[in-house]
Amino acid sequence: MSDAISPTPAPGTGQPALRPQLSLAIPADAEQIANATDAVLACLAGLKVEEEKCMAIGLAVQEALANAVVHGCQNDVSKTVQCELSCDDQGRVLIVVADPGPGFDFSASREPVVQDVYNDHGRGVFLIRQLMDEVSFERGGSVIQMWKY
Amino acid sequence: MDINMQRRSQVEIIQLRGPLRLGPAVNEFRQALDESLSNGDTRIVLDLAEVPMIDSSGIGVLMKSLASARQRGGNIKLVNPSKFAVQTLRMVGLLNLFEVFPDADAAVASFA
Repeated sequence: MSDAISPTPAPGTGQPALRPQLSLAIPADAEQIANATDAVLACLAGLKVEEEKCMAIGLAVQEALANAVVHGCQNDVSKTVQCELSCDDQGRVLIVVADPGPGFDFSASREPVVQDVYNDHGRGVFLIRQLMDEVSFERGGSVIQMWKY
Repeated sequence: MDINMQRRSQVEIIQLRGPLRLGPAVNEFRQALDESLSNGDTRIVLDLAEVPMIDSSGIGVLMKSLASARQRGGNIKLVNPSKFAVQTLRMVGLLNLFEVFPDADAAVASFA
């Protein structure tokens, strides 16, 4: 695994104390995303994570993978998207999704698209921020780290 | 994604089963709505009881179709959306754009 995807320490601990639980590498194909999300959901269920928390993490992963495949990789199936799931001793879950693309302006996605509610895109990163407790971007936006406490 | 379509009292009832996510599920959903709207069926009831998750691409198709239906004098009404689907639509500030009904009969009757 590339060091670009190495997660930050667990918040408030100062120590990594993270246990890797799942590592996926999928081709940048929209049809592969649901399977990857289902693998994350199955892993969370195996860890006995409560259902509501599972659903929030699952949807955030779905959105992050979709951004990576569609925007980061431009649907180029020769490219690979990485997804890693770790948890700490307090049951907090960290998801890291990385793509090989140039990134994007993540600062512009803090609010939903309110100008046109009928717009058919532009809600993904906003949803991630709502679903997860802590979200950060690295490498210009091509790596997203998402914590659910 | 399993999609069941039926027509009742000049209302198209579309029942979805499974997560509504980017990929085949959203493509099939888009196709079903496009087919209804292009046939002039702009009064649509969408049964979401068995849709545990809707992602932003599914929401995008839903909103684009809602705009299209309303521009032609119709509407899209929701039936019994799952708890998480309701939470998701509320998060993005769109839940209040829809009329939500407990069952398909009530939703169909509301078009009369």
